[in-house]
Amino acid sequence: MISVEDRLEVEAFLFKEARLADESRYSEWEALVDDDMHYWVPLQESQEPDSDQVSILNDNRTRLATRIRQLNTGVRHAQLPPSRMRRSISNIEIEKTGADEYVVRSNVVLYEFRRQATKELEVWPARVEHKLRRKDGELKMFSKHIFLLNSEGSIRGLSFII
Amino acid sequence: MMNQTDTSKFPRYDKLITDARVHSSLYTDEKVFEDELNKIFRMGWVFICHDSEIPNAGDFVRRNVGREPVFAIRSRDGEISVIVNRCAHRGNIICQEDKGNTKALVCQYHGWAYDTKGALVDVPYPGGFKGDFSCHGLERLPLVDSYQGFVFASFNENAPPLLNHLGRATELIDRAVEMSPVGRIRLSGGWVRHQLNCNWKMLPENDTDGYHVNFVHPSFAQAIRSNYDEAVLDDEEGLKSLAKDWGNGHTELFFSPSYTRPLEWFGCAEDRHPAYTKALLAAYGEEKGGRILRDGPPHAVIFPNLFLGEMNIVRFEPVAPGVCLHVHTPMYLEGVEDDVNKRILRQSEGALGPTAFLLADDCVIAERAQNALQGKGRWLDLSRGAEREVVADDGVISSHLTDETPNRGFWRHYRSVMHPGAPTSGVSAVA
Repeated sequence: MISVEDRLEVEAFLFKEARLADESRYSEWEALVDDDMHYWVPLQESQEPDSDQVSILNDNRTRLATRIRQLNTGVRHAQLPPSRMRRSISNIEIEKTGADEYVVRSNVVLYEFRRQATKELEVWPARVEHKLRRKDGELKMFSKHIFLLNSEGSIRGLSFII
Repeated sequence: MMNQTDTSKFPRYDKLITDARVHSSLYTDEKVFEDELNKIFRMGWVFICHDSEIPNAGDFVRRNVGREPVFAIRSRDGEISVIVNRCAHRGNIICQEDKGNTKALVCQYHGWAYDTKGALVDVPYPGGFKGDFSCHGLERLPLVDSYQGFVFASFNENAPPLLNHLGRATELIDRAVEMSPVGRIRLSGGWVRHQLNCNWKMLPENDTDGYHVNFVHPSFAQAIRSNYDEAVLDDEEGLKSLAKDWGNGHTELFFSPSYTRPLEWFGCAEDRHPAYTKALLAAYGEEKGGRILRDGPPHAVIFPNLFLGEMNIVRFEPVAPGVCLHVHTPMYLEGVEDDVNKRILRQSEGALGPTAFLLADDCVIAERAQNALQGKGRWLDLSRGAEREVVADDGVISSHLTDETPNRGFWRHYRSVMHPGAPTSGVSAVA
């Protein structure tokens, strides 16, 4: 069992992380990330992170920094203009895995209005697993795994922070 | 032939495609799309899979050939069949899984069972079945052939041999597999299916377009130091890479002249993979092995649906006039240390697919083009560099990286397929 205070703190982190991603505030979002971050969208639900199976996205901290740097150039056509997005997070289950560490499992539905070319509304339903730790009194995320429901189907361009 | 084809209902491809321009209706017209599914994806050769995807008896993978669902399956005798994925009884999907292994194919609707070559072997409640088993097999594609393990097939039993279709482009496939010291690649990494809402022809055209890189990928150039800085991002005088037309619609961006040291194409120091370097030199000798290490893999399109994307293999799938799939997998090498294949995997994830540093931008640009070409449309200019092309003794046409030589090569072949007998006057014909 985790305390109500812990739960509120973890939920507040998730909501803030979602809002910064929704609003394409890339550097503010990156400030929530710890040095050993693994940001991952696997191709298959049962995939292991270190397998030889290709992923839709598989960023260590260095590659994630590159991704943010590319988005911040202002000439990343895939996000020009940035997608308008809102995501809802539900079914939040929090497991305390250490003195100051949590694994957080949730369901996410992200609505994306693709403004760059086709002007369509795209829906991205997913199971998400965050790993958080408290560092210097603040929560940081060191893992975010996004299991898209349609990962093995046909995927549209996904150049925003999911 | 069941009945005479009424050519009047088809567009006049000879008028819509000339040496220097093509009409935009070729990207948007439903009739053109249907005609392509027939003339290119049924009557011609299409890349299906690599034999490393189905190494054992009973292994299968599902694919689409144009709009036809098919699967490739290996039998006990080692033969690979490409079979239409449709029960001979009432037409249900017979092979439901995307990939797997099976001894027999059993329809989930009424239980008709077929062997791995598509022959009917069992019908439940046989008392009511008065047919002949030999007349109720699954539809097999009449032509299946492979080159260096790349399996191609055609619905057209009269299509010319695969080697005629590949022509000189066998050299491109050779260059891909020779990245392995044992000359073998392995496509075991799984396929990512990236959907673009644009016409499928924009994929082969863009993947061998050397002119767009500075404009579509400036964010990549600014954020990432890479081998592409030398190969494609230099100014007009500095660029040493070449655009090539290999004939039969096969095209290439030839980056190798830009590379000055071993493994530059791999984005690492030349001493980063000593075992790989040693194995290549041992396998091919100092001269050829050294050249492979310096030149790197091909960046080339094999008409109509295969892209040798450096250390990736890509399939193009047409879905509708304005929808297509760019489906990729890392090109793993046999006979190398794991760290080489790990680098290939990480680079594949960076370069291709929906989240990629490169392809996500190409995707938006192509979708904008598809929007712009709706309605009456217009002529698209493909004349760039036509006057400075060089034709080599073997017929391969080379030009400056930014020239539209690959586009012209693609469309010249497209026209010959879509409008057989069209005059080729003025086209720098490739023998």
